Amino acid sequence: MKLSAHYNKASIIVSVTVLLFGAVIYFFAINYIARNQLDRDLDEEIDELFEFINTYHRLPEADFNGDQTTFFITDHRTATRFFDAPYQNPKEHKPENGRAVEGSVILDGVIYKFTITISRDSTEYLIQIIALITLILMAALIVVLFLINRYVLNGLWQPFYTLLNHLKIFNVSENSGHQRLITNVKEFEELDQAIATMSSRVKSDFQNLKQFTENASHEMMTPLAVITSKLDTLIQDEQLKPDQFEQIHDIYGATSKLARLNQSLLLLVKIENNLIDDAEVIDLKDMLTEKIRQFQELVQSKDLHLIANLISRKIIISKYLADILLNNLISNAIRHNIHGGELSITLYDDKLAIQNTGMANAINADHMFDRFQKGKRSEGIGLGLTIVRNICKMYGWEVTYSQDECMHTFQIVFDPSLVG
Amino acid sequence: MKILIIEDEQSLRDNIVSYLNEDGNICESCDDLAGAISKLASYTYDCVLLDIGLPDGEGFAVLNFLKKQMKEESVLIISARNSLDDKVKGLNTGADDYLTKPFHLAELKARVDAIFRRKAANSNNRLVFNEIVIDLLGRGVEINNEPIVLTRKEYDMLLYFIANKGKVISKNAIAEHLWGDEMDMHDNFDFLYTHIKNLRKKLLDASANDYLKSVYGIGYKFSAV
Repeated sequence: MKLSAHYNKASIIVSVTVLLFGAVIYFFAINYIARNQLDRDLDEEIDELFEFINTYHRLPEADFNGDQTTFFITDHRTATRFFDAPYQNPKEHKPENGRAVEGSVILDGVIYKFTITISRDSTEYLIQIIALITLILMAALIVVLFLINRYVLNGLWQPFYTLLNHLKIFNVSENSGHQRLITNVKEFEELDQAIATMSSRVKSDFQNLKQFTENASHEMMTPLAVITSKLDTLIQDEQLKPDQFEQIHDIYGATSKLARLNQSLLLLVKIENNLIDDAEVIDLKDMLTEKIRQFQELVQSKDLHLIANLISRKIIISKYLADILLNNLISNAIRHNIHGGELSITLYDDKLAIQNTGMANAINADHMFDRFQKGKRSEGIGLGLTIVRNICKMYGWEVTYSQDECMHTFQIVFDPSLVG
Repeated sequence: MKILIIEDEQSLRDNIVSYLNEDGNICESCDDLAGAISKLASYTYDCVLLDIGLPDGEGFAVLNFLKKQMKEESVLIISARNSLDDKVKGLNTGADDYLTKPFHLAELKARVDAIFRRKAANSNNRLVFNEIVIDLLGRGVEINNEPIVLTRKEYDMLLYFIANKGKVISKNAIAEHLWGDEMDMHDNFDFLYTHIKNLRKKLLDASANDYLKSVYGIGYKFSAV
């Protein structure tokens, strides 16, 4: 649930409760005040009645001052008491709610109990009007609250959503700076400021790290070149003994492995930073045919049975990366194959599948695309599949590995946004 | 061939100089941009080996200088940076080839020879090594005027050996030359044996001298004697 909805819910519940309480209290207060008013009126009536009796020494008519007054002879005095009583409207002849007072008066030694009733109609009408207005106000208030929450609050929170979107699309390798938010809300301004500072720091840290990786890798290339050239010079000396040559041969191997490792790391950095952007339309069928030709020797050396089912399929990819991608997958499929095994390369409309026979459980499938994960017998540097995964990720494809007994399958599922 | 080597790493420079100096080449070297420009301003070379990362600037400045002065030197870039951008930039600014460090001296020599041959292609497109005559345009090989049929790899290998005649070449260097580093052939030299065996057999069958000698444990040597 959105924050505004939460707020909406809370504010409406609270305001309705408060309003309901208020309305009840209001109703009783007005009722009380109206009754007091009526009682005061009745008090005045009593005063007038006494005045009338004192002046004229007789009881007034029933319809004294338009009020209904009744007299009974009684033998004891009664205290003045106010109470609700029905009131008979003389004009409309229908019962109304009324307020009455009773008390006693002595005229010529006789105690009379009198009752004066007046109509409560006008005050009730007043209460009804007030209640109605209160209800309308309450409804209006809820509607207004709702609208405010919905539109004004959403508007208020707009900068927040803008910031959130910025954060969502934040790409550490992108060079464009944080787009500053224009808002006069202090909190959002501060948040924006914090995000701007954070993103620029993260980016500069990342750039530094990238620069460091790149520089470190480059700096290693020159010493490697020195080692290689020294070895090339060293082997010209034919006085060396065969076992010394063999040592040198191993140094060559290690040096070239180091160089390849370095190049792979650099390539990974480049792919991760989207630095290779020379994508073009390439027919994967042509490329695979060429690769199969290139790998022919290797395939033959292991007596592999090669099955290639290719259809014409155009994809958009950097030729350089496509080359690396296929090289890594096919050379893996050959290297981890068994002698006389099978290698099948199938290109479908939506995916490329490369299958090879091999040892069962040779690799840990969970970590197989991680850096420096390799099979026990693998002579590789352990970055090949990481590079494959990252190339696929870069183009929005999905690479999966599955194993069925001795059959290992790598599949690349192309993105639907392809040229057909 | 007169070669200028511009490389700031002294030990690498020395090795390149001593490797290339034989075979009738004259090598000069310098270790920075200023020295390179002043040498190029006063002398003419057949080939320039250019490192991009120099202490006083990027090697591209040399290319720009050569272009501005309308000089004809062929340039082979040797760079630690294996970046596509640098390659494209270098080749577009007039470099003839781009070699990424680390490289084998034999590879360097083969590239220099190839550049030189390309430059001289108009006047002479035949490479003659004793009784072996190679038609560089038609990629044909004749021995004692008898044509022999070589596969692409055997032909490449022959050119490579001739460029590095008299030198011991490691198996790694040959494998890298033939298959490039992308093929990951490094732990397997069986293919190399096969190709070398076939080449040697074809040469011997055409009654050429046995130039190709195996140096135990390390590689091969194509010697003129």
